Amino acid sequence: MSEFKLTTVEEFEAATARLLETGAKVGADAWQFRVKNQTPHCKFGEEGVCCRICTMGPCRITKKAPRGICGCDVHGIVGRNYLKFTAGGSATHSDHGREICHTLYESAADGCYKVKDPDKLIRIAKEWGIETEGKDIYDLAHEVAETGLMEYGKPFGTQRFLKRAPESQQELWEKNELAPRAIDREVSCSLHMSHMGCSSKPEALVKQAIRAGLSDGWGGSMMGTEFSDVLFGTPKPIETEANLGVMVEDNVNIVVHGHDPSLSEMICEFADDPEMIAYAKEQGAKGITVSGVCCTSNEVAMRRGIPMAGNFLQQENVVLTGACEAIVVDVQCIFPALGPLSKCFHTKFITTSPIAQMPDSEFIRFDAHTAGEKAKLIVRTAIENFKNRKPELVHIPQMKQKATVGYSTEAIVKALDGVTNSQVDELGTTKPLLECITSGVLRGAVAMVGCNNPRVRPDLAHIELMKKLVANDIIIIASGCSAQAAAKAGLMDKRAKDVCGAGLKRVCELADIPPVLHMGSCVDISRMLVLAATLAKDAGLHISQLPVVGCAPEWMSEKAVSIGNYVIGSGIDTFLGVDPYACGSSEMVEILTNGTKEWVEAAFTVEKDIEKLGDAMIAKIEEKRAALGI
Amino acid sequence: MTLFETVFSGNDAVYGLTEGAINAAIEQHGADKAVSFPNTAYCLPCYYAVTGVKVKTLGELKEALGVVKTLMTREMRLNDVFMSGVATALCAEFIEVLKYIDGAEPYTEPCYGHLADAVIRELGVPLVTGDIPGVAVILGSAPTKEEAVALVKSYQAQGILVTLVGGVIDQVAEAGMKTGANLRVIPLGKDVTSVIHVVSVALRAALIFGNVTPGDAANLMKYTFERVPAFVNAFAPLDDVIVACGAGAIALGFPVITNQEGVSTVPKSLILQPDVAKFNATSLEARDIKIKITNIDIPVAFASAFEGEIIRRG
Repeated sequence: MSEFKLTTVEEFEAATARLLETGAKVGADAWQFRVKNQTPHCKFGEEGVCCRICTMGPCRITKKAPRGICGCDVHGIVGRNYLKFTAGGSATHSDHGREICHTLYESAADGCYKVKDPDKLIRIAKEWGIETEGKDIYDLAHEVAETGLMEYGKPFGTQRFLKRAPESQQELWEKNELAPRAIDREVSCSLHMSHMGCSSKPEALVKQAIRAGLSDGWGGSMMGTEFSDVLFGTPKPIETEANLGVMVEDNVNIVVHGHDPSLSEMICEFADDPEMIAYAKEQGAKGITVSGVCCTSNEVAMRRGIPMAGNFLQQENVVLTGACEAIVVDVQCIFPALGPLSKCFHTKFITTSPIAQMPDSEFIRFDAHTAGEKAKLIVRTAIENFKNRKPELVHIPQMKQKATVGYSTEAIVKALDGVTNSQVDELGTTKPLLECITSGVLRGAVAMVGCNNPRVRPDLAHIELMKKLVANDIIIIASGCSAQAAAKAGLMDKRAKDVCGAGLKRVCELADIPPVLHMGSCVDISRMLVLAATLAKDAGLHISQLPVVGCAPEWMSEKAVSIGNYVIGSGIDTFLGVDPYACGSSEMVEILTNGTKEWVEAAFTVEKDIEKLGDAMIAKIEEKRAALGI
Repeated sequence: MTLFETVFSGNDAVYGLTEGAINAAIEQHGADKAVSFPNTAYCLPCYYAVTGVKVKTLGELKEALGVVKTLMTREMRLNDVFMSGVATALCAEFIEVLKYIDGAEPYTEPCYGHLADAVIRELGVPLVTGDIPGVAVILGSAPTKEEAVALVKSYQAQGILVTLVGGVIDQVAEAGMKTGANLRVIPLGKDVTSVIHVVSVALRAALIFGNVTPGDAANLMKYTFERVPAFVNAFAPLDDVIVACGAGAIALGFPVITNQEGVSTVPKSLILQPDVAKFNATSLEARDIKIKITNIDIPVAFASAFEGEIIRRG
């Protein structure tokens, strides 16, 4: 048997330390130093008790000054800040989803973008009551795209995809006025409510935060995922590799970073083009290697097996290797630091979206009409930059792990079909998974998501929690930077079954899956919602009754808060390793960790001690099992 | 009761019986009394395979029971269930070996009880070459004797080695079916504990043919999971003890197919098949046994299982 060993966080850190030495030679800045400059952080900000939504302020709440100038108390201030935070996240995912809708609208038989999964398109059309018979697939694509775009601003009704949820959850949403209406409306309603002199009642603010979150999860994100599948194919299990060692020293290295697959898919397409490869050879390279960072990496890894260079806090490391010809970005989670950093090397920092414009970058505006020629230009620019490399600065840490990724909901159901018995079972359901859970072979499932955050030793919480959970026969579904942490560690290698408890190990062997299933990017958390909804429906339970919890141990962004809101909003208890700037208000803490149960049957748990966070998740899963008598 | 609790309860019951039986035997014969199965170089083969320790006297058997007790952890995790299943099997082996004290012959025609090493060596080669594509362990009583015979014959016709435990033995005997090692239908015994004699075959196969080091439990279970194509057909009603034995089978990689309604099913491992007529197809699929059959249209049964058949006069 081949040697298999998980990569440790210490090894990650040693590799990073070596790269920072290169950085020191060229005078590069890095997040590690900027964190030091920002520490200690302002306590008022950390507790969420600072308000600057009007120019009477800024106000901050202390024992001596219990109210702001307008008279708002600490609960209202924390609540408004929380709602604004959510709205930012919801807007971000939703705008991403909107771009994908537009891309789908631009798709054409002879265009840059084609419909790669017509069956899925037809399925969605039928779900939405759009006539499919006898229609050209592109006419249908345009009609579905337009219907999707209307979801952002329709004056009446609620989100179409809500119907995918179990009825019990839909009833809760209706009863508590949580069913999201048009997506943009929920975002702007949130901003309206949190304006000076509007809502200052914590219950109302949290309810709107959940509604805005739900408009993301069951709206913007879900459309982003579904239409990405239609355009670029529904992910199927595929082999890939993760960590910086995927960059190849002799090749032109193009790193895609950001979120929207419309860009990264095109880059990958042209990097594979024989003409481009020939050009790269002409320039002295042996070939072209595209690797990814962050969610756009997850997208192309899931569909094309493009290797993953790293997650959020590794984005600077990519440049520090000295072997990155171009880092091509679109939107979200891109450090503006990449501009000045790239100037220390030969690296081209190429921004492409009007949404994310940054100093010290080369801006090549990318859009659906000109996608092909722009992608070609970008690849060509990277190739031409190969000769500018400074060989003395090149160091790629030889560290990578194999990973099997591509577990869309469809792929998971297919894997489950593999363990059915044709004499007794039906195909195409989640029942085999339910049987494993009911019998106790698997104790439950945890959805691990979220970012990196310097507040938590990067990747440590993700990896340690996953190791603890799999050892306790809890299967993990992961997305975003959490998934990449798992891949870098080796937890998505099928051989990682050996670090699991006997139950999960047996499941991995029989279903031929790794113990941590990569479900995609952050918008793909909508896949997890669909999976949870399907499990609940197949089991005849509420989602909240399933022994399933969500966890974001190293979360950082506004998007993560929006995600947290829609996950609890969908009935799944959620565990956070970083406080969402809410601890300054006892009322807000009470609502977020308990009060929301009344509306959605789930709530948050915040625990900064990773060991305790893991124990709390296992205890919650066992509590749900006990309640079901399984 | 959850599936795990059922296994634990069955395991506790068997453990209690075993402890009682060993104490009674020591009282009767003394701790130095020798215990062994006939015609084996592996002492108590299952215990030896799992722990690497050879048990030779009643006193050592009692010590071994202490070791078995340590396998009986009670966390709600599959590992604990698997180990309790293995512990149940080991207890069964202890109970069975007591039957053989003083060279007794506890099993009479048609039952075999313990199988000699020679039988395993003889069956081992066809097992490895795939000439015997699988091993069926049939446990309990089929709903009718016709169904019992039909099931056994269906396996026999596929060249599968069939072992019988419990009521099914009488059912096939009543129907006048010939059994015996030469026909690859081996009735083991009427007590549920006699199922250990087929487990003993699988574990000795791992030691003999798999070159597994005695005591290397992890590799032992890996070998049986990957290389011994056995499966269990357990007829309703299932009691806790049978379920605990089933956990041991599943731990070794052998799926259990049952017609017991209401059982908590596990994909590929514990499968509910209410229709006994479909046990064969369900079992083969569950154990990934693929048999290519060329049907020769002749008026008698035809299979390698009949190669050792003895034709008597009359």
